[in-house]
Amino acid sequence: MVELWFGLLCFMLTMFVVLDGWDIGAGALHLIVAKTAAERREVIAAIGPLWSWHEVWLVAAGGTFLLAFPGVMAASFSGFYLALWMALWSLILRGVSIEVGGHIPDRLWQAWWDFVFAASNLFLALLFGAAFGNVIRGVPIDVTGTFSMSLFTDFGVRGRVGILDWYTVSVAVFATLLLAAHGATYLRLKTTARVHDRSERLARRLWTATLIAFPVVSFETWIVRPEIYRAIAARPAAWFAVTVILAGAWAVWTGFRERAEARTFAGSCAIVAGLLDGFAAAVFPVMLHSTLDASYSLTAYRGAAAGGGLRIALVWWPLAFALAIAYLVIVLRSYRGRVTS
Amino acid sequence: MTDQAFWHRLQFAFTITYHYLFPQLTMGLAWFLVFWKWRALRTGGERYAEAARFWARVFGLNFAVGVVTGIPMEFQFGTNWSNFSRYAGSVVGQTLAMEGMFAFLLESAFVGALVWGEKRLGPRKHFLAAVAVALGSWLSGYFILVTNAFMQHPTGHAIAANGTLVVGSMRAYLLNEWAIVQFLHNQAAALVTGTFAVTAVGALYMLRGVHVEQARLYLRHGVIAGAAASVLVAFPTGDAQAKIVARYQGPTLAAMEGRFDTGPRADITLIGQPNVRERRLDNPIKVPGALSFLAYGTFHSDVSGLNDFPPETWPTNIELLYYAFHVMAGLGTIFIALMACACVQLARGRLERTRVLLWILMLAFPFPFIANTAGWITTELGRQPWLIYGLLRTADGFSVVVSSGDVLFTLIGLTGLYFVLGLLYLFLVGREIMHGPGTHAAPSPYEPEAVGGEVAGG
Repeated sequence: MVELWFGLLCFMLTMFVVLDGWDIGAGALHLIVAKTAAERREVIAAIGPLWSWHEVWLVAAGGTFLLAFPGVMAASFSGFYLALWMALWSLILRGVSIEVGGHIPDRLWQAWWDFVFAASNLFLALLFGAAFGNVIRGVPIDVTGTFSMSLFTDFGVRGRVGILDWYTVSVAVFATLLLAAHGATYLRLKTTARVHDRSERLARRLWTATLIAFPVVSFETWIVRPEIYRAIAARPAAWFAVTVILAGAWAVWTGFRERAEARTFAGSCAIVAGLLDGFAAAVFPVMLHSTLDASYSLTAYRGAAAGGGLRIALVWWPLAFALAIAYLVIVLRSYRGRVTS
Repeated sequence: MTDQAFWHRLQFAFTITYHYLFPQLTMGLAWFLVFWKWRALRTGGERYAEAARFWARVFGLNFAVGVVTGIPMEFQFGTNWSNFSRYAGSVVGQTLAMEGMFAFLLESAFVGALVWGEKRLGPRKHFLAAVAVALGSWLSGYFILVTNAFMQHPTGHAIAANGTLVVGSMRAYLLNEWAIVQFLHNQAAALVTGTFAVTAVGALYMLRGVHVEQARLYLRHGVIAGAAASVLVAFPTGDAQAKIVARYQGPTLAAMEGRFDTGPRADITLIGQPNVRERRLDNPIKVPGALSFLAYGTFHSDVSGLNDFPPETWPTNIELLYYAFHVMAGLGTIFIALMACACVQLARGRLERTRVLLWILMLAFPFPFIANTAGWITTELGRQPWLIYGLLRTADGFSVVVSSGDVLFTLIGLTGLYFVLGLLYLFLVGREIMHGPGTHAAPSPYEPEAVGGEVAGG
């Protein structure tokens, strides 16, 4: 039961990162990929009316986290207090700039909201990357099962760590490159003319940069948490994730060569999902690793809800999920195709 | 320690109060949109379609601010109330996750289509989008009220071996008597907010002599629905709410009424100032016997006063609780009277010419927001000193690891951000209202071809 809910939670977070990831990536590139006001409206239109649907997966994952692993949710959210609130502010600004930016056809009005949109998305990409870096590196959980972390301490990765250190900053930069590449790949599929051509060029460069950065971050990860690689070598679920990543990389590579834009995009989604879930498969059952003492780490078994609550939730969850997919299909059918300016 | 709890409470109170200004209008307007879309579909009447189009634009702005201010609410359970989450997360997480999965995914899938997609979808599917959004918003209201009702009157839970709460019976948790009563009362009150907004815009246009045909429609539907909703808030839903408080939260009802002494023929105080130190109400103006009747159905019923309960079970802020309740109940009564007058004039065919009444209707729209807020202050202060009534104290629920300095940092940031958000909302909604229905349509952010040539080329 605990394994199943760990899987479902990973699935919901993956939905959020893959779906909203392309909005965030496209948003971070907003000012570069679109130069005129009309082109910028085109980018917003490509992101489309589903951005809030994407974001709801974060909210739903938050609720599921609370329901299934209340102990881990409570410790991590309060421990990451300041960083999490900065992410929430960015989410607010991002949402507002999409919704009100197009409201008034005035150059200054739109220029301001375009800037807020790009800045908040860039900041979100960096924050989510840093958060992922923190989960990999671990946090200073003590014997009480809680932690409270400064934004930065000595930028080292052992003991009393802060949210930012040389490792988490590296992951933040890597994640931003990856999400930007993902976003550019999405825009290449969804737009026409000049925005499309710029997205194509940017996507090629960003994927190259991601490819160069990946071994660097992987090496750093080996320094910080070498046991992750031993787990990947030992676990079939992790092999599967690695296969997904390799297949994704192949799809991205051939998709660019053969101008198969949908295939590139599918590959991009596979890479993002594979990286997240490969990590999850390797560290299970540890959800939050302690940098003070590995025995303080919060595991899925220790942090899971007690009693029969998980079994009860399994009754309604599949129904809710099936409905959610039905809405998606209905709405996507209305918004298929490319947008133009 | 008390200090630290204070900052956590202040931040939650601020963010939830601000957030709820928007969903109440969303939930109130949603059924107007459904109704007008349905009339337009059945009769082919352009004025209904136009009314739906205009209010969908206001709805869209309102919805967007509701969404962005709602996201932090979910996360505050973990960031600011982690001990509560650890203790009861497995129970309240059920409804928070259900709200996301059943309600938010439904709402957010269709709201873009409702606000911007009329041409793309065609009339029938567009009507269905309106229904989906209305259902989603009311469903989310139910799930969040189940969560709140659990904190007011916990049912359906069991205590696990590790001392935390878990769901014992999903049925008892979801169909909590308190949740059902509270949902009906709260939704009726949200309808009041919606009807007052529609009526106020109708009155504004009528007084100015613009968009007269639309104004007539808003006034007619707003006043009829407004009278019905205002009555429903008081009876049977408000009445049922008072009875359930009397049954399960004895000291709370006494504090709401500012009643210290126990006895039969309990009065209702219309105005007066609670003096907690002296344990009495100063300068009271009373209706004899009314409280006994409202709480228990007869005039001789005994109603307990605060003196009957040990002081440590008293709500912690009796003065504010008393005023919040009286502001809510007083305004609710005025709403019934106002909407009844408007209905009479409407039936006589004179509403459009009764300018004094139109002025009042136009200026009355902020008051349902105040009444709803006061109602929620009553609910949440009435629960004190408990976070989960009888199970967990508020002083034991917050995140001990988050310092007061950290909370004040985010609270100050949120205050600034929400202030700007409020200005933006008022400016954009005001702008829509000044443009009015018909002529103008804001460009859809999702249809770039709709952006006129004036911006193309930057």
